[in-house]
Amino acid sequence: NAVPTGGMEEVAVSTRGGGGTRRMKWALELSLGNTRSRGDRQSSQGDTLYPIGYSDKPVPDTSVQEADRNLVEKRCWDVALGPLKQIPMNLFIMYMSGNTISIFPIMMVCMMAWRPIQALMSLSATFKLLESSSQQWLQGIVYLIGNLLGSALAIYKCQSMGLLPTHSSDWLAFIEPPQRMEIMGGGMVL
Amino acid sequence: MANLRTCLAFLFLCCSLCDAVYEDQVGKFDWRQQYVGKVLFAHFESHSQASKKLILATDKNIVASLNPRTGDLFWRQVDKAGPEGHIDTLLFHGQVTGNGRLLRSWESSVGALNWEMLLDPGSFLAAVLVGTQDSVKFVAVLKKATVSLHYLSNGHQKWTETLPDSDTVHYQAVYSSGGSQLFVLGVVPHSHLSIITFNIEDGEITSQRSVDAPWLSSIQARCTVVGQGVLICADASTLSLYMLPLSSEEPVGLQQVPLQSLDLDLALGFQPVLLTTQPNPARPPLAQFFLQLGPDHHVLLQLSDGHLSPLRDFQPAFLVSFATTGEKTVAAVLSPKNETVSSKEGVKRSFSEQSNQGSLITILFERKPDLYSADSGRRLLDTTVTIHLDPNGGKPEKLYVHAFLKKDDSVGYRVLVQTEDHTITFLQQPGRIVWTREEALADVVTMEMVDLPLTGTQAELEGEFGKKAAGLAGYGLAAMVLKRLSSQLILLQAWIAHLWKLFYDARKPRSQVKNEVTIETLARDEFNLQKMMVMVTASGKLFGIDSKSGMVLWKHYLRNVQPNAVFKLMVQRTTAHFPHPPQCTLLIKDKETGLAALHVFNPIFGKKSHVTPPTLSRPVLQSLLLPLMDQDYSKVLLLIDDEYKVTAFPSTKNVLQQLQEMASAIYFFLVDASQGKLSGFRLRKDLSTELIWEVVIPPEVQKIVAVKGKRANEHVHSQGRVMGDRSVLYKYLNPNLLAVVTESVDTHQERSFVGVFLIDGVTGRIIHEAVQRKARGPIHLVHSENWVVYEYWNAKSRRNEFSVLELFEGTELYNSTVFSSLDRPHLPQVLQQSYIFPSSISTMEATLTEKGITSRHLLVGLPSGAILSLPKMFLDPRRPEMATEQSREENLIPYAPEMPIRTEWFINYNQSVTRVRGIYTAPSGLESTCLVVAYGLDIFQTRVYPSKQFDVLKDDYDYVLISSVLFGLFFATMISKRLAQVKLLNRAWR
Repeated sequence: NAVPTGGMEEVAVSTRGGGGTRRMKWALELSLGNTRSRGDRQSSQGDTLYPIGYSDKPVPDTSVQEADRNLVEKRCWDVALGPLKQIPMNLFIMYMSGNTISIFPIMMVCMMAWRPIQALMSLSATFKLLESSSQQWLQGIVYLIGNLLGSALAIYKCQSMGLLPTHSSDWLAFIEPPQRMEIMGGGMVL
Repeated sequence: MANLRTCLAFLFLCCSLCDAVYEDQVGKFDWRQQYVGKVLFAHFESHSQASKKLILATDKNIVASLNPRTGDLFWRQVDKAGPEGHIDTLLFHGQVTGNGRLLRSWESSVGALNWEMLLDPGSFLAAVLVGTQDSVKFVAVLKKATVSLHYLSNGHQKWTETLPDSDTVHYQAVYSSGGSQLFVLGVVPHSHLSIITFNIEDGEITSQRSVDAPWLSSIQARCTVVGQGVLICADASTLSLYMLPLSSEEPVGLQQVPLQSLDLDLALGFQPVLLTTQPNPARPPLAQFFLQLGPDHHVLLQLSDGHLSPLRDFQPAFLVSFATTGEKTVAAVLSPKNETVSSKEGVKRSFSEQSNQGSLITILFERKPDLYSADSGRRLLDTTVTIHLDPNGGKPEKLYVHAFLKKDDSVGYRVLVQTEDHTITFLQQPGRIVWTREEALADVVTMEMVDLPLTGTQAELEGEFGKKAAGLAGYGLAAMVLKRLSSQLILLQAWIAHLWKLFYDARKPRSQVKNEVTIETLARDEFNLQKMMVMVTASGKLFGIDSKSGMVLWKHYLRNVQPNAVFKLMVQRTTAHFPHPPQCTLLIKDKETGLAALHVFNPIFGKKSHVTPPTLSRPVLQSLLLPLMDQDYSKVLLLIDDEYKVTAFPSTKNVLQQLQEMASAIYFFLVDASQGKLSGFRLRKDLSTELIWEVVIPPEVQKIVAVKGKRANEHVHSQGRVMGDRSVLYKYLNPNLLAVVTESVDTHQERSFVGVFLIDGVTGRIIHEAVQRKARGPIHLVHSENWVVYEYWNAKSRRNEFSVLELFEGTELYNSTVFSSLDRPHLPQVLQQSYIFPSSISTMEATLTEKGITSRHLLVGLPSGAILSLPKMFLDPRRPEMATEQSREENLIPYAPEMPIRTEWFINYNQSVTRVRGIYTAPSGLESTCLVVAYGLDIFQTRVYPSKQFDVLKDDYDYVLISSVLFGLFFATMISKRLAQVKLLNRAWR
């Protein structure tokens, strides 16, 4: 077995030295990869041949392990606690932006108000995400509370900026002039 | 630091408030018309052909010069109003002399004052120019007890002499004829005539005569000097003329010439009037003169060789006049055409019925320099010109003729006719009207602004929903749809035509585009900025003026209006009710008889309405326009007579029924200033009234000067004011509130006071009273929304002060849905503040806008002729002494006692409105814009924007840039979209 292979080796070497572009007469492909990529592999890896039955892609491990479950749980808690974690940051931004009404504080407030609202709107999607967790309901409630707190904070900010119609003066424009009960006229005797 | 900040805030506020016009906006939205008033004296300046002028003196104490070609003013000198500035006479000799206590000489070309002389006290009687040796050097002034001679060149007095027996003899005329003598004529009524001759050089009395004339009571107009110093007097009782040579030394009596000997007859009960002319003060008067024998009967007489002979009899002839040019004198006679009726009333009526055509007959005399002899004045020429005066203008009142020499040495003339309605018309020889001036507009009493009607197409669309629709409904749905489609089509057509016109006009230079406004093309514009100004003048002439251009579109002269009549103009139906024409009602009350008449007319066309107003047999005390409407959409007018009975107009069944239903809610108040009594009445179902309250302000202590309610068309958008802490202070908006201003009878500066009472007009409850001690009138008052602003003279500090009262309900509304004066248990909170104003004021009014959102300004007419637009925020009793955080939040300006006058607040820049008497404000279709008309001697119209033009694009808005950018971006997106598509496609193929 070894001799013909050696002869073959020799031939291959000699032919390469002579022509360069001449193709081999035959080749045996034993890798799992498809044949189309053969040329590429040959060029990058030279003539290194994988052993028969070798695949460079890992085969997925389909068995569930205990450690993974803990990981999922942790991940779900991350999602649920996300809004709550943002609150101190928001408080800081609130403090920094001040109560004057100008474009930046308004943008901040809008962001602050919009994010919880968006989160609350996509609540069902988040719940689906948490489905795999065993503490799904608790996490859901925490997530909800966190978002509600976030929006409450935004409302508080609006209030402190004076953007909420909470005073009687805010409704002044809607007061209709009272209807006149008596008709009166007259003047100096002409 | 805080101070600096408030200062800065204040400055910023002021800067943001100023809204003066830009240079290129001058005359764009405003116009001014200048008037002079009723002409008393007129002279034509005809010294040089080039600079012709018409010099006028008027009853408004004005000396003015007009351009006879166009009727425009060259110059105008306005004296004090009232009797103080009254012009007694105007003498003309290259210079003009206005006369009163003062003798003034004006330069006629530019209107500059040459000199002014204060005359001795005493009532003025007559003045005459005195000439010696063919040149006029002096002016003689006759007063009650003295006669004085002044140099014409500088006004210095040459001499003054007291007249003998001035307590018994009424000196009335002064005469000189170029010699060295000056004659002063006086009369002791029903006894004798006194003639005193003075030497012009030194004022010495050269002779003194008295002639028996027991029939003579007055010299003025009864006697005149004719020819070579012959005094001619007319007497109605003996039906004769009397002649007396003035200069004769021997004591001759009056020579009697009975009228019958001249084949003349005097109209019954008519006092004859003599009219003569003295073309040159240095020469004797003409020997020809007019004798008026009746209201329409004049005779031209001639005196020659001591004999009187009639030259020509003019009957009918209303007006006669003389005019001189060079050595030629013409006599002009204005007589109506087609005159057939001879009786006195008949003449008047026929004149008003026929189309007021007058024919002017002129007679020319030629007088050669040497011909002072008997047959000097011969009739040479007799021309008749037919002139057409406005048929609506009343009778001609005065006639001024301007004669001039034509190139071929014949005499041409122009005529100035003044009619009863104060119109002056200038006519050229073939009877062509050169110009007319409506001088009645110098005395506007009251005015209203009425919306213009919609265009035909707009009206067509409106008509669908109006009465026509009711008829159409019978045809069914298809017809309605068809009609709607057709009217839409018409609208589209009109719009395209409009666009085409815009395009067409845009190509022409701006000066060539003429916006001819005629009564036919009148239509409401997009924003209702153009309105019809209905003006009522004291002479009884009504005008309809286009507010955009100031053109008089219609005029209507009301005859038989007494000079002291009281007018009240009301808009009964606006243009909003399309098939029905708009309707205005003018209440005219004669002060003496107290009887009133109603004139109902269409304010757009000026035509008298077909509606017959009720006849008012009893004197009317007041009128009241109700918001009720009859089925024809005209508001109901109630007229209260002196028995406190009410007449309704219109008084259809529908109206009476509505009135019966509403009667218990209709109240009215009457203020009798003479008795100091305010009384409130309520309407009963049978249209009688019952007295429900009475407030007496004792007239011995104080007199009521003004009573003002709120304007009926005023809207208040905001029911309260926002405080710094964002709570609301609600306004006390009582629609029935009256502001009554009183002045103390005692005018001593220590004891005088001004009182302001706020009284509810329904219940008579005194809401508030304020007394300003050591203050005096005249008081100007504005009452609007929840505030009253008044201006008075502070006698103690000697300055003008503004005071503002504001009423608030507090932080809670008592009843937010209905307002009833009968159910208001709480009195409002009243705040007051006063400010020093650096000028006295003539009149005051507040701006008014459609919805009342725009902030208010006060429009203050100053005696200087400026109209100041003063922001109401300066007159705010909540202005704090020290600025706090909250007050800054509220935009309150810290209190400063001085009120500034900024020249950029003058809405009429340099277009002074002389003697402004009233300011009228009207809302336009744009909320930001308020239309303002100031009237006095002049009329000025403009627009004001109290909160700037927040709802309009700026004048200099760059449409081209914006639209080109828009279009560019649009095309760029289109192209890039296409390109992106192509690129995507290419990439997909690769």
